Amino acid sequence: MAQSSDSEPHALDRPWRIWASAAVLTIVLSGVLLGVLIIPVVQGRSAGIDAYTAICRALGILPGSPARRQVLDRTPPTPVSQVVWTPDVLQILADARPERGRAKVQEVCFTCHGEQGVSVAPEFPHLAGQSGAAIYKQLHDYRTGSRTHQQMTEIAKALDEATLADVAAYYAAQPKRNPNPAALAEAPPAIVRLVELGDPNRNIPPCAACHRPGSGGPIETPILAEQGQEYIVRQLQMYASGERRNDVYGRMRTIASRLTPAEIDGLAAYYRAGFR
Amino acid sequence: MRNAERLCLAHFCVAFAAFLGAAMLGAWQMWVRSPLGANIGTPGQYFMSVTAHGVAMAYVLSTFFIMGFGYFVAVTALGRPLPGKVWAWAAFWMAVLGVVMALVPILLGQASVLFTFYPPLTASPWFYIGLVLVVAGSWVWCVLMLVAMRAWKRENPGQPVPLAMFGTVANAVMWLWTTVGVAVELVFQVIPASFGLVQTVDAGLARTLFSWTLHAIVYFWLIPAYIAFYTMVPRAAGGRLYSDTMGRVTFILFLIYSLPVGMHHLMMDPQHGNGWKFIQVLLTAFVTVPTLLTIFTISASLEIAGRLRGGRGLFGWIAALPWERPTVLAAGLAFVMLGFGGFGGLINMGYGMNAMVHNTSWVTAHFHLIFGGSVVIMYFAIAYEVWPRLAGREHPSPAPLRLQLWLWFLGMMVMTLPWHWLGLQGQWRRVANFNYADPIIAGWGPLVVVSLGGGLVLLASALLFVRNLAVLHRSPVPTLQRPLYALAVHPPQRVPAALNGFGLWNVLVLILMLLAYGYPLAQFVIAPSPAAMVHRVN
Repeated sequence: MAQSSDSEPHALDRPWRIWASAAVLTIVLSGVLLGVLIIPVVQGRSAGIDAYTAICRALGILPGSPARRQVLDRTPPTPVSQVVWTPDVLQILADARPERGRAKVQEVCFTCHGEQGVSVAPEFPHLAGQSGAAIYKQLHDYRTGSRTHQQMTEIAKALDEATLADVAAYYAAQPKRNPNPAALAEAPPAIVRLVELGDPNRNIPPCAACHRPGSGGPIETPILAEQGQEYIVRQLQMYASGERRNDVYGRMRTIASRLTPAEIDGLAAYYRAGFR
Repeated sequence: MRNAERLCLAHFCVAFAAFLGAAMLGAWQMWVRSPLGANIGTPGQYFMSVTAHGVAMAYVLSTFFIMGFGYFVAVTALGRPLPGKVWAWAAFWMAVLGVVMALVPILLGQASVLFTFYPPLTASPWFYIGLVLVVAGSWVWCVLMLVAMRAWKRENPGQPVPLAMFGTVANAVMWLWTTVGVAVELVFQVIPASFGLVQTVDAGLARTLFSWTLHAIVYFWLIPAYIAFYTMVPRAAGGRLYSDTMGRVTFILFLIYSLPVGMHHLMMDPQHGNGWKFIQVLLTAFVTVPTLLTIFTISASLEIAGRLRGGRGLFGWIAALPWERPTVLAAGLAFVMLGFGGFGGLINMGYGMNAMVHNTSWVTAHFHLIFGGSVVIMYFAIAYEVWPRLAGREHPSPAPLRLQLWLWFLGMMVMTLPWHWLGLQGQWRRVANFNYADPIIAGWGPLVVVSLGGGLVLLASALLFVRNLAVLHRSPVPTLQRPLYALAVHPPQRVPAALNGFGLWNVLVLILMLLAYGYPLAQFVIAPSPAAMVHRVN
């Protein structure tokens, strides 16, 4: 009894198997016919594209939409920086070792930037706890002439790719000092607002959108916390005047040219105090 | 209280605790984006909050609720003890551990990547590992559901599996298929990147794998609501289910048509040819079939109930329905929201129309109305039906239950209808704030304030829901023994194996997935595209 009732559903099942499979396959095959053959060929004809190309585009084998001619931009690129973040470069940064960088720092860099990354004079940037990718990018730019400096250009040209990465990793590994709570309390609300929310009416994005670690800026974005005030003011002035121009897409030149001198001073003071 | 009841309640408690926290965050998010609270809080805090809201609602509320409800159905519909209770408890605690592991980095601001991840953004690895544990817990649940159904079939050869359990197992089978995409993305792409083992991620491949999961996951959330429509609502209305077969076909159609359709979330993505997008959009169109079948069958079932209660004429049966009963009321309100949300979804599904609403508030409105509206209101209805049976106490009064359901419905409509309109005007989503000094954006302000009002009503409803359950636990009224599941007008005596199991349908899903996703995934291996730099947010 149990056997007969068990086999009965299977007898009932045969038409289900056939019809369900046929229905599903019909639907999907009509999708293939329409989506890969008929529509691309018809649309391609009106766009002057031959049937074979249109079908290949619909399948994603050739680039481009079946309905539109592709316009090629033949303008030669003029990048402001020669750094390309290829997987190889990223791997060099990931493989960099602070211990190897220390020797070069003690040999060359410490005279201005300090052995611990705390610079000896206000015109030199502090490098302690700076992003390794940011240091690498600036050194590379000095090497290729995208950024110029009397001493740094010569120093960077003498270093190879792996050493740049090691030096960057060494300074990135140096601890920052603690934020100064007294200065933290003094930050004027207008400056805090500029950092956190920007000023949409002047198309100024918030500084923190990029310069807070992990916030979403490009990989080469430097960390500004505890940077020297005079150094930041000088860099913003140079961006505003166009004297410094190794910022990709001119982001910082655009932003800095919209800041008032008082805002530049205020932001520099804000970041000197150790805000992130 | 017996072990199985404690198991169900434990799952429900985690689910609704996450829900309450997420509802509060949702209201805060609306406040800071409105003109009233403009510029309170930082973008960092906003995205942290959105991540917590999404993870809690989409992963914690849904997964824990569905697991708890599944265990309840397996015991009550099959009328036999749950197999593998130790495994079920182990899966529960593993999933709870996963939630804690994911929550800590979110609250530390180390995982603000939203619940959909968006590689090459990478968060703390613990965030992803925590979510993998939640999914692994749900896989144990899937296996237990299959084991329970198989054991019942062995004991009842040739008998049709009760519809509630058939739907639950359909959901479990679908979930096993569904999670393959996101599991591959997390294990092979995102987690290695978050540990720093690789420096680049192929974002196109990651998005394709996530699209595999992204649409079917919505049906994973939805199916418990449909199980309630088919098995609880006709009984609560005092009638019978119009057709048991229609229910089975609906759950099967969800299984086969929810999976090979995810590419309609990638219509603006450049990594796939338009032919593949067309095929998946065509298959997407067939997802409407089970929903329309359900609306027809449940309306017919309610008509039977209405006429049994003395309703006359073309529409008289609607007025005769017992709307004072929370389950019936919830089903009616869910249908209205499903109607609006479903038509909105048809717009998203069309290639050209999607281009106009893509990444606008329209999309946010659509998924809040479908999941937050239709599905979650049925979660409330299920909780109101099931909780007294678990706690052994009855609600002292249905009035606060009805009020809560009405508030949820009104809040959701008032919140999402302005979002639809703003989306048509181009209001973008996934931004932390709006500049209301801009004349165009200023024009959106009043509607944003209206939708904030809806959000606050939703928060009030969420609080009232938790209050209703707390009152139930202190209620002196012992639970009444009453049947939960509806009988069909023609109870099935025997059904074809195809409508009593999933063998055939798994083969068809495999064929469909190979056709729909085979080449689109293989192309990333055949001709790898330039990968994106990993971008760490922690």
